[in-house]
Amino acid sequence: MARTGTLQLEREEQAPSWWRTNATAMLFMGPAAILVIVFFFVPVLLTLGMSFTDIATATGLSGWQWIGTANYEQIFRGSFTGLIVRNTVIYVLLVLTFNVLVGLGVALLTVHVRDQVGGFFRAVWLLPRISPSVVYALMWTWAAAPPPFGIINEFVAPFGVAPRFWMNTDPWMFILFLNGFVGASLGMLIFTSAIESIPEDLFRAARVDGANAWQIVRRITVPLIRWPILFVLVYQSMSLLASYEYILLTTNGGPGLYITEVWSLWAFHTALQSYAGNLEIGLGAAMAAILVLVGVAVSAFLLRAFRFNDLVSEPRVEIT
Amino acid sequence: MDKYTLSGRVAREGLRLSRRRFLVSTGALVAATACSTAPTGQQQGGGQAAPAGTVKLAAWTIGPDAPSYYRRDNLVAAAATLNKELEKDGTKVELEATFESGGSWDDYKQKFVLAAEAKQAPDIVVAGHEDMAPWAAAGYIVELDPLIKKYDSKFKDVIPTLWDAMKLKDKTYAIPQDTEARPLYYRKDLLAKLGWSKDKIDGLPDAVKKGDFAWSDVVSTAKEAIAKGIVDPASGWYHRPSRGHDFYSWYYANGGEMQDKASGKLVLVPSALEKFYQVHYAAVKVDKITPEQFMGLPGKQWNETVTAGKVLFYNAGTWTWKDWQSTYKVPEQALWDNVGFTLVPAAQRGGKPFTLSHPLVYMVTASSKSQELALRLIANATTPELNSQHSVTSAHLAILTTQEKDPTYQKDKFLLATSYMLGYTTFIPNHPKYGAYDEVLFRFLTAVEQGQVTPKQAADSAVSELRTQLRDELIVR
Repeated sequence: MARTGTLQLEREEQAPSWWRTNATAMLFMGPAAILVIVFFFVPVLLTLGMSFTDIATATGLSGWQWIGTANYEQIFRGSFTGLIVRNTVIYVLLVLTFNVLVGLGVALLTVHVRDQVGGFFRAVWLLPRISPSVVYALMWTWAAAPPPFGIINEFVAPFGVAPRFWMNTDPWMFILFLNGFVGASLGMLIFTSAIESIPEDLFRAARVDGANAWQIVRRITVPLIRWPILFVLVYQSMSLLASYEYILLTTNGGPGLYITEVWSLWAFHTALQSYAGNLEIGLGAAMAAILVLVGVAVSAFLLRAFRFNDLVSEPRVEIT
Repeated sequence: MDKYTLSGRVAREGLRLSRRRFLVSTGALVAATACSTAPTGQQQGGGQAAPAGTVKLAAWTIGPDAPSYYRRDNLVAAAATLNKELEKDGTKVELEATFESGGSWDDYKQKFVLAAEAKQAPDIVVAGHEDMAPWAAAGYIVELDPLIKKYDSKFKDVIPTLWDAMKLKDKTYAIPQDTEARPLYYRKDLLAKLGWSKDKIDGLPDAVKKGDFAWSDVVSTAKEAIAKGIVDPASGWYHRPSRGHDFYSWYYANGGEMQDKASGKLVLVPSALEKFYQVHYAAVKVDKITPEQFMGLPGKQWNETVTAGKVLFYNAGTWTWKDWQSTYKVPEQALWDNVGFTLVPAAQRGGKPFTLSHPLVYMVTASSKSQELALRLIANATTPELNSQHSVTSAHLAILTTQEKDPTYQKDKFLLATSYMLGYTTFIPNHPKYGAYDEVLFRFLTAVEQGQVTPKQAADSAVSELRTQLRDELIVR
């Protein structure tokens, strides 16, 4: 017994405590962790909690009741749910594809021209992102104004296209461009810096081997920027799932019966905007909670599909 | 830690009080509390007499139309008369009243709800009558029947039908601030080009009142004007281009009901709903008197088009008569020469014409510590002189029977000519779930005009969706 006790003592002396090992990490990560908990986890928990209540303007903060899963049942029984799910899927896929492809295309083009020209072109593409959202959306609304107004009507008239109220006749096209031009600029910046960090030797070697431009892009550039592409895909999928501001400012979910209403806008309309006064916060919280769950599932799927762990693992061979 | 708690541990630690010390301490505490509280005037609840001292009252009002600033100014004027009445009691009311112009109803209402939850709401709030339902349910506003009874002489000349819109399950929660009607405007000059005589044009409001000119006549006249090139295609009839309560005139005109008087539940009449949708579907898709893709047209463009005389029939509120003069610079005489106004014609000949009113109301909040004084202030603002001043400035209709004899009101021939419409008016319901009801009905209306669904599909789907959402709060007839 005495010998065992000595061994344990020696081991304790040798093994530093958990705190001693992790103190520095905790110190550095602590503030960020607190922020994440307070501003991300707590709101999610509150939203989940509220989704099981009937809280609304008419109940106030003191008269609400627990109603179990009634809000979720109403959402899944509602006749608009299928349509809004479909709109959301279309919106995310369409805008995400535009953002990544156009962002990548602009990045590839601008790194292959003179620096000044490329820089100027990228700066122009950044304009929508640095414009205030409301101003940017209003400019689109004015451009697509109904006849006899609208810059677009002026432009297309010489080609024999009849003037129309574009925002009502082709709402999805405008939502795609409106979101796409803003979203593509983020991908463009990230892809540009990633492409420029690829060693020039690889491109030279490929050219010596007779590879054409398309082969270089396909076999060298794209595989080497997989990580930025994954980041843009995951980040923008999440952003798009939760974003609705440009739709709100232009079509507001219309025209007609929820033609452009997406899930996050539906939650906003239900919980925070009511023409006749009663905000249904509990029901809106249930919609938001479903969105959070879908977001987590989509992220997990994308991280798995793109083998996130492989991308961030230590290189097997280190060249010094 | 124990010694700071209020638990029995305090006693166990040996804090002992003699009876004498206890009485002295308690007396001192009561005296200190009495000295530290606000003057009694600020603690006045409903039903008590006016207290001595200065009482601060706050009121929030909104246009959003700019000419409605008398919503605030009338309360300020009423504070002066109230202070004269209160002189003998030694009470003085200090009023802080605000008026929001050009803002949005959503923001204004949200601000009030947040203030009410924080117990920072003003004593008086002006809003739409339908807001009373959620706000009363949440306890933000108070029932006014006992106070109205106490000061009933001040409210005896309120137009009786308006009280219907002030009640929630037979309890009164609001006082009318103003009201309006939503007429069908028509261009006299264009009807003259169609060959109508002056007598026929001027007699149109009477023909509508008698049921001799029905909705089908509006449609046929509009089609004729388009066919003869007097107006452009699809410029025969413009309804409002955005969400609003005006649309429900056609639902009522076709036999619709919105609320059950006995139970207070919301009501849907599927046959009336289908006809309501049919009117709008036919206007856009069949008769082509209204443009395709019309919903969402900017308000400015809508007003510029109708004031330019390019549309034969159009619906708007009475207040737009003043707006066309102030914002769109149409001289009043030009309006009288070229524009007429009538009730929304009956669905069939011989039927009853309609309009819809949306009274704005004063409500007294639960946060108010001076509810009786707040009501007395509203009462003093509810006079023929003050309300007439508001009416002529903003083209809102009288809420008092005595206003029609008021010299200011008498001078405004538009108000005099439209006042009769209140005899034909309807209201939207006061129900906490009206927002959900309105959302579904309006979305299907836009879907019908968009050609997404037929009127029958829209009516059936709206009923089905509202059954899911409202459950036992909906009666389908």
